[in-house]
Amino acid sequence: MHIQDGVLSPVVCAATGAISLGTVGYSVHRLKQSVGDRTIPLTGMMAALVFAGQMVNFPIGAPVSGHLLGGVLAAAVVGPWAGCVAMTLVLFVQWALFSDGGLFALGANVLHMAVIGAWGGHAVRMFVQRFFGGSRKGIVIGSVIAAWATVMAAAALFCLEFRLSWPSREIDFSKVFTLMVSFHSLIGLGEALITGVAISFVLNQRPELIWKMGTLARPHEGAGKSVHPPIATITRTLVAGLVIALAIASFLSPFASSFDDGLEAVLGKLNLELNLTGSVPGLLEDYDRIPVPVAAWQSIAVSFAGIGGTLAVFVLAWLLGKALPAAPPQLSEAAGE
Amino acid sequence: MCHRWPPFAKLFTAIAMILAATCVPITHGPLVGIVACVIFFAHTLARIPLAYVCRRLLFFWPTLFLMAISLPLSQAGQKGWLLFVTIFVRGTLSFSTALWLVNVMPFDQLLATLRHLRVPDVLLAIVSLMYRFLFVLWDELDRMRTARSARMFRKPTLWETWRSAAHLVGRLLIRALDRADRIHGAMLARGWDGRTRWIEQRREDRP
Repeated sequence: MHIQDGVLSPVVCAATGAISLGTVGYSVHRLKQSVGDRTIPLTGMMAALVFAGQMVNFPIGAPVSGHLLGGVLAAAVVGPWAGCVAMTLVLFVQWALFSDGGLFALGANVLHMAVIGAWGGHAVRMFVQRFFGGSRKGIVIGSVIAAWATVMAAAALFCLEFRLSWPSREIDFSKVFTLMVSFHSLIGLGEALITGVAISFVLNQRPELIWKMGTLARPHEGAGKSVHPPIATITRTLVAGLVIALAIASFLSPFASSFDDGLEAVLGKLNLELNLTGSVPGLLEDYDRIPVPVAAWQSIAVSFAGIGGTLAVFVLAWLLGKALPAAPPQLSEAAGE
Repeated sequence: MCHRWPPFAKLFTAIAMILAATCVPITHGPLVGIVACVIFFAHTLARIPLAYVCRRLLFFWPTLFLMAISLPLSQAGQKGWLLFVTIFVRGTLSFSTALWLVNVMPFDQLLATLRHLRVPDVLLAIVSLMYRFLFVLWDELDRMRTARSARMFRKPTLWETWRSAAHLVGRLLIRALDRADRIHGAMLARGWDGRTRWIEQRREDRP
């Protein structure tokens, strides 16, 4: 998930770095405005928690395992500003302690995991939550969908950055994108599942921990009064729309890039490659006899990953929301403080 | 001997080396070779064991390989392989530079240097707190894992593994936030008023 130095071109690194610097700088500004004296220990602990939480392995297949990314979780507990700062610091420490991810690619990584993860995730969660009237079920469903959408949006952005980094006419990027998108739709499913279960666990045990507007100050003194004005609904809807649009775009990207050189060119290239691989005896011989053109197969695969992934996320959201016991009234009052 | 350099020199050397590694076009073979030699020389100067570097590279290469191999796979010609080699060489060189920096520059020193470069105090305060409690949380996670495996009598199904791992994260979250509350109380007891103060650095750490 971490982009290394050298994968993206210097210009793209500079551009993403500038965007990230702006957004993180704004987050720090908002964080300074809203500080109770509790902000610093809480945000530091949240960053440490995300870092430690990424060490918990979730087995997928025999050798493969996934882990939490944590942007949506962080935003759910400490709010979008502090969440964005915490995720940025996690990425920085991962570089400075383990040389994980690159220095110049830090901008891109921050954009993908901190800005989209925390800001975008928060916006999507709030957007979805509105349909449930702020109930606990809404929080879980919202965060599941937000976790999935942020990963897919990050994948779409990565495809775009990768395409801009290597502006070569000869490379058929649609296949690179197919690989990226199907890979990330798995990661996104994992992230959605982990975030959903973790948040519903916290909601069950300590519902007052989930962030409400302006409660980063100490709970007993910050009760009721909002420390900073709530984010305008229109901004939130815009950001949520942007993230969702990016998530959808990630599934369209393989098609979009194959438009410019046309189906025939793609088929020509694929034939060439099939001839190359066809020399492996017995392994790939049947490819020639399959009536479906390979380009179409590719689009079917991506569509399947997209539709299947989306359906799975919605089923997941529904199941997790259903499994959550109805909140006793005094608990939801505690959450409202 | 790199360890004794002034912190600014270390940081800027590393940045310059990464910049060189990522910006030199791969077609200029000798130039790339020179950059690689400089980085290797820096490693030998700092007496970083070669076996350690190789071990780290072995863990690092698969991820880079996965990212880079998609290019030649999607195109049969030579261009794809050229890009593959570009990404691979650049990634490896900048990774080893970062590894060099990690080994010659203690984290506290890095933070002190960043402070002199006018990085906001809030960020540095948060990151030093995070660094302090990161290892505490790791130990806590370790104890919770031990406890979990001690309570499991049979091999869990996949869903159970997932659920218990996610509960582990949730439980750790609750404990961490409780700990943050206690830390905050302790900070208040010592006169914390929301402003960050720094202890003056030891002489050799001062940039």
